[in-house]
Order: sequence, then structure tokens, then C-alpha cells
Amino acid sequence: MPMASQDGLQTSGLTHVYADGRKALDNISFRIEAGESVAIVGPNGAGKTTLFLRLCGVLAGPQGQASVDGLDPADPRQRKKLPETVGVVFQSPDDQLFSSTVEEDAAFGPLNLGASVAEARARAAEALAAVGLADAGPRVPFQLSGGEKRRAALAGVLAMRPAILLLDEPSMFLDPRGRRELIGLIRGLPGTKLVASHDLDLVLDLCSRVLVLDGGRLLADGPAAKLLADAELMDRHGLEVPYRLR
Amino acid sequence: MNLALRHQIVPDSPVARWDARWKLAALLLAVAAIASLDCLPTAIAALGLSVALLIASRLPSRWVRPRLAAFLLAALPFLIVLPFTLDPDGPGWALFSLHVSERGLAAGLAVACRCLAIGSCALVLIGTAPVHHTIAAAHRLKLPGVLVLLAALAYRYAFVLADELRRLRIALWVRGFRPRATRHGYRTLGRVAGAVLVRGADRAEAVAHAMRCRGFDGRFHTLTSFHTNSKDVILSLVAVLTAAALVIWDRI
Repeated sequence: MPMASQDGLQTSGLTHVYADGRKALDNISFRIEAGESVAIVGPNGAGKTTLFLRLCGVLAGPQGQASVDGLDPADPRQRKKLPETVGVVFQSPDDQLFSSTVEEDAAFGPLNLGASVAEARARAAEALAAVGLADAGPRVPFQLSGGEKRRAALAGVLAMRPAILLLDEPSMFLDPRGRRELIGLIRGLPGTKLVASHDLDLVLDLCSRVLVLDGGRLLADGPAAKLLADAELMDRHGLEVPYRLR
Repeated sequence: MNLALRHQIVPDSPVARWDARWKLAALLLAVAAIASLDCLPTAIAALGLSVALLIASRLPSRWVRPRLAAFLLAALPFLIVLPFTLDPDGPGWALFSLHVSERGLAAGLAVACRCLAIGSCALVLIGTAPVHHTIAAAHRLKLPGVLVLLAALAYRYAFVLADELRRLRIALWVRGFRPRATRHGYRTLGRVAGAVLVRGADRAEAVAHAMRCRGFDGRFHTLTSFHTNSKDVILSLVAVLTAAALVIWDRI
């Protein structure tokens, strides 16, 4: 289960330019308090995934633009501590389930963090039980359904007990039942959560605050119910007011 | 999807109960020994022993036969070409207007036997333990970590890429494409191959991101544990000594 975050998450003038000159993030500044659940919404190509990759230290950038539970992802020494602080659930679970069995995959992170085999096994079992896959340990990932893959990918991250969870399009590829189960599961998780999604009904269920990102720029930051009900704002940024707010 | 390494239930047998580390080490040595054989009689003996091991493994014949056929197919060019090209002036037989060399035929048959014997050992290795056990065994045997990791990832993602290829084939089919030996056909297949490669590269990058996010530092870790008993050691010694005996017989 995730640990309690102390400092939350903060960016200050966060900018990211890819090698081909494309500016994916432009001067993004926000603060997320420890324990808060916040959504990032925006059209395709808005920069949501790039923001996640910068926050977890996968993409390099200038130092001092982001702080994740007090750690700077751009500082090579602090970046090494990030995997035990921030967990990322990516869009496609197939990209995240790279081990030969579900149990091996859930234990992958703890083993990398230096846990013993017994401890890694215990953490994997705990995480798999938390996502309702207690019996799936010996199964191979390609035998899982889309919903099970999503939950197994989440278990792999939970086994590392991160203080902050970044979830990139968590409801993608899920049927309505799988989506409902996932919402219940994520809602029950403690810790700081940042959710990037096009599924605005899911956002309403999980997050009290929304950041609207478009063209790499942060264009709005406010209560979820208020921003998502703003038809003009939603329309301008390729989004739609969720059914519940119409 | 029908991949050669598709995960399947391992039938119980003495070979399946053989500790994966000892089995891997013994069979790798045996394969190296088989590959070094020159003479036809020793190659035939190696094939006989390998097939006996395959039978002892109790693997389903419908799983074994097509895979062995693929190994035979790989050896077929040697079997066809060598009798007509090796030692053309030596003793042999006339076949229509062609001269079939005795030495060439023996060399071709030896290649085919070696190929099938190595294939049998490979099938025993793959079929008598879950592939991830064998990969973990390779890690425990201190085989190069990069190779072990590559094998593990290749095994995992072969199925994902095969699924993508299947989806692409369906997409082509529903748009009326039928594979034909035409310029359009070749160009389309080339584009499909390119799309699969590009998707593979994209996926490799995404997997690398996910691994780094979970603290991956280049070292392979596994939960798999192994237990050795005297039967494992005896079985391994028998396999290695038999392979050594074949090499000595071959050299005499």
C-alpha cells in the first residue's frame, strides 16, 4: 500500500523541449498537497504523458523545475530515490507487465529497491490481494484480460509503496465493469494521486481538482465540478462536459 | 497465434523434475558437443540419444512434430546441396546425369542429424520447464545478464508483437488485400513489416520507461528458487559424460 506523502508535488516554470525542437511543456506551475487527488485533462498531445515522464525522472530537464515529495527528478542523485517515492501506471498495461509471471512482475520493483526475495514475495502478494488478483501470481501476463492486466500493472506499482501515484489514462481499454472496479480501487488508495485522463466521468469520481492542459500550457486550475461543467472551456480544449454535469 | 515458445502445461516426467539449472548446463554442453561432431555414425547416435530424451520428456507429439520439422527444414539445403557439391570426383552414384557423392551425402545426413539432435535438446529444454524457470536458471548459472534479460523480454513481448501482427493482417484483409506476388503485394507486406518494427521500437521505449520508473538498474532479479538433489547431479553427469564419449568416438 502507498506510503504517506510528506511534501506533495510541485512544479515551477516546468518546460520541456524534445530533441526535434517541439515544445511539449511550456512554463507549467502548480502545487499538489500531500494526500490530494488531482486530474490533468486535455486533448491528445496536450503534454500529459510528457509531464508524467518529467515528474518521474525518465525525461531529463533543467534542475529546480519540479519537486516530487521533496526530490528533484532532474537531479541524478535524487532521481535514484524516485522509484520508491513515485509510482507511475502507464497507458498501456502491456508496456508495464514485462515479467514472465504476474507475481514476478509485482515483485520486480521491490527487488530493484533491494528487498529480499521473501520480502519482495510478501509485498507482491499484498499488492496483488489489494487489486483483487490474489490468485493470479503464477499466471503469465498475456493470459490476463484487459481489466486484469490493468490491475496487475497497478499491483506492480503498489508493491513499491510509493507516496505519490501518477495514473496515465487508467480507464483506457476497460469495459464498464472493469472501469467501475478500477474507480473503486483507486479511490480506496491512500496517498497523493495525479490522474491524466480523457474519461471525465472517472475524473469526477476520483478527483476534487482539475488542471486543464493544452498545447503544453496549463490553462486552468480549479475545482473539478466547476471546470468540467464549463462547456465553453471544455469545447475550446477538445473535451466534453461529462454526462453527469449536463 | 501459434508461437514456438507459447506457454503450455509441462507434462510430469523425470526430465521435467530435473533441476532447471543442472538441466540447462548439461544440455548446453551436450548441444556444444553435438555441434562439434563430424562423422555420420556419431551424429546418428547423438540423434538417437536426443530423441530418447525427448520421448522420456513425455512432451505431446503434436507439439514436438512441427517443431522438429522446422529444424529439419533448416538442414534441408545442406542435405540437397552437399551430395552434389562435396567431393564431386570421389566415390558415389549416378542419379540421371548427376553424380551423387558418397562423402557429400554422408556430410549432408550428418548435418541433418546434428540439426535434429540439437533441436530435440532445445525442445526438451523449452518443453520440460516453464520458460521463465529456464531463464531464471540461466541467471543463476551466471550467464551474461544482458542476454538473460533480452531472452526474458523477448519471450514476454513475442506474444504482444504477434498479436499486433495478427491485427494488422485482419486490417489488411478487411480492406480487400490478398497476398499475391505482385508489386503492390510486396510493397504492402514491406509496409506491414515496417509498421511492426516501428511499433516494436515504440513499445521498447515505453517498456524501458516503465522499467526505469520501477527502479530498474540493469540487473536481472527473480523470485524463482531452485533445489538440487542427487538425482539432478547424476542425470547431469550422465548427459555430460555421454556427450563427451560421443566427441571422443567422433575424433577416434
